[in-house]
Amino acid sequence: MGLNMTAKAALLAGAAGLLPLAASADPTVLDLWTIDDPGEYHYVLAKEFEEANPDIRINVRTVQFRDMINDLARAIAAGDAPDVTYVDNPEVALLASRGLLLDIAPRIEASEIVDKADIFPGPLSSVSWKDGIYGLPRGANTIALYYNADLFRAAGLNPDQPPQTWAELKSAAEALSDPDDNVYGLAFSAVATEEGTFQFLPWLQMAGGDYDKVDTEGGAKALGFWKSLLDEKLASPDTLIRSQWDSTATFNAGNAAMAISGPWELPRMAKDAQFEYRAALLPMPEAGGERASALGEGDNVILASTDHPDEAFRFLEFLYAQMPRVWNEFGYLPAADVTVENPQNEAIYRVFEESMKYARNRGPSPEWPQISKAIQGAMQSALTGQATPEEALATAQGKIDRVLD
Amino acid sequence: MQALPLPRSLRPGFSLGGLIDGRGFDTLLVLTALGYLAVFSAWPLVYNLIMSLQEVDLFSLASFDRPFVGLDNYREVISAPEMPQILGNTAVFVIASVSLQLVLGFALALFFELRFPGASFLRGLFLAGWIMPPLVVGAIWSWILAGDFGVLNYALKSLGIIDENIFWLSDPARSLWSVIIANIWLGVPFNLILLSVGLAGIPEDLYEAAEMDGATRVQRFLTITLPLMRAQLGAVISLGTIFTLQQFDLFAGLTQGGPSNSSNVMQYWSWQLSFQEYQIGLGSVISVLMIGFVIGLAAIYVRSTRHEQVY
Repeated sequence: MGLNMTAKAALLAGAAGLLPLAASADPTVLDLWTIDDPGEYHYVLAKEFEEANPDIRINVRTVQFRDMINDLARAIAAGDAPDVTYVDNPEVALLASRGLLLDIAPRIEASEIVDKADIFPGPLSSVSWKDGIYGLPRGANTIALYYNADLFRAAGLNPDQPPQTWAELKSAAEALSDPDDNVYGLAFSAVATEEGTFQFLPWLQMAGGDYDKVDTEGGAKALGFWKSLLDEKLASPDTLIRSQWDSTATFNAGNAAMAISGPWELPRMAKDAQFEYRAALLPMPEAGGERASALGEGDNVILASTDHPDEAFRFLEFLYAQMPRVWNEFGYLPAADVTVENPQNEAIYRVFEESMKYARNRGPSPEWPQISKAIQGAMQSALTGQATPEEALATAQGKIDRVLD
Repeated sequence: MQALPLPRSLRPGFSLGGLIDGRGFDTLLVLTALGYLAVFSAWPLVYNLIMSLQEVDLFSLASFDRPFVGLDNYREVISAPEMPQILGNTAVFVIASVSLQLVLGFALALFFELRFPGASFLRGLFLAGWIMPPLVVGAIWSWILAGDFGVLNYALKSLGIIDENIFWLSDPARSLWSVIIANIWLGVPFNLILLSVGLAGIPEDLYEAAEMDGATRVQRFLTITLPLMRAQLGAVISLGTIFTLQQFDLFAGLTQGGPSNSSNVMQYWSWQLSFQEYQIGLGSVISVLMIGFVIGLAAIYVRSTRHEQVY
């Protein structure tokens, strides 16, 4: 390792020696890692930032979403971590708890652009760890119930009155499901990945429970409700192995009358869905109950190892200031209270906008992946009938307690 | 190994001056090879073993300053509630994949030995599965095996074999077998090629002599083909087992080990622990156990071919 570093330093020194002119007049260079491809959020905004701030250059690099944490860990170990990176919501606590991220709470305090009070509670919780704030959300997403208004009418249901409660959701699914025509009532995802946790957690939270307390009566009720949807063939058995994207594809193709997913579906839905589609808030266990929804998307964070914290924070402020644009240009929901001018898909935007108020963070816990895995295990063992919902959630609670203590 | 003659340069009396006039060149070659093995094979194995005794997460991967936990990781993996199921799945996956790949590959190799018109072209087509990246194979099989709109269900329904869709990938009783089917398809070409080479090496006159003595086709197969193919069969079985234990992409592409671990196997579990849950110590335990198993298997294979006859 030591030898490696020395060799690298020697190489760098050599390279710098070759380019003495370029080195002297260079603006500050910030390395930015993102999961975006060219043409998307970080690429577009880095370019705009450079134009507005000629003293700073942004060096953007794309990292695959699933490799981000692994690659960051390696880069941090090797001493060449980026200055700024995108991190998925539940991973902020993992990095912050190890002191790898810069606490920007004092800078936000002094900032004229960022007002902490504007950020919605879910996204704010996702960048908070202990007393610090370790990033700014770039936007958010959440889930809602999409439904096929044409099929509603054909089944004698009123598309202006989408299901509000679990019982209504189920009777709608029963009315809409048509096995002879390959139509399921509902499409959602109970896959054994983070996406499955993302979809199930709001149901648990609505019924009384959370990531750290899953073996509740409400949790068993929620899981039992999911199981009844599968057992009665109101949702496809492949719900267990399909991602949200693949599940919603069946909705777009007209093979499911309703689907639970997020705003990222809209561009494809506009192309593929040959019917009138609408969206509604996630149904609640009972009328007038507590609402909850999932919180997705991620955050712009500054690594603690950066040599340019001031410039990095200026960049974060710039990104945050673009919040009113994220819906129309990049397809995320604003994570803060801002006014969106002429939102596209306005009716659906209003539903997601309201849903954002109930969106809750996953965690925070530095051991989030293990907690998520326990929840996925409970989901899948109950849905396949290997355990009752109560047993499955009790097993998961045991695992979660071991992780949290 | 011990049968290899010592290179000249390692014999007594060797001096560095030999390098200059070329006599030490073989030393350089041997040391390069040994160095390569030490850095790229031995070191990762040792490192893996060390990690299996430590509490490791992503951020302590590069340093040795990590808490030693003795055999705690081993205890945790072995007592995990999913361990028996995953171990059983791995055994079924390996035994079913390797034996069916072997039977099909051998049958096809014998078939193509008949040298009918177009045989070599068709044999070439069978290599398609070998050339395609396993992740692509996974994606294709997931379309074939999909429950609601899968190609296989459509075919079976059109033929009147089934009335109701079969949920190949999401039915816990079938998911493992679905991955096995895809893996067999993937592994047959390798078996076919290696066994074809072996068959081509058996002298034709042996068969002619046996035929003149009145041996039937079955007798010829049992007394000539099978014994003379021993080395190839051994190689195919051991390599097939190793490849099968390395199979990862199909699980990632088809079932992610689910539903509910019904199609999870050791190698995929190891990856999940290391890179999804970041419990790298636990993931390392599984790789150490698997390496131990493969070394044992390799030892059996080497022993069984030691007294191989050359004909």
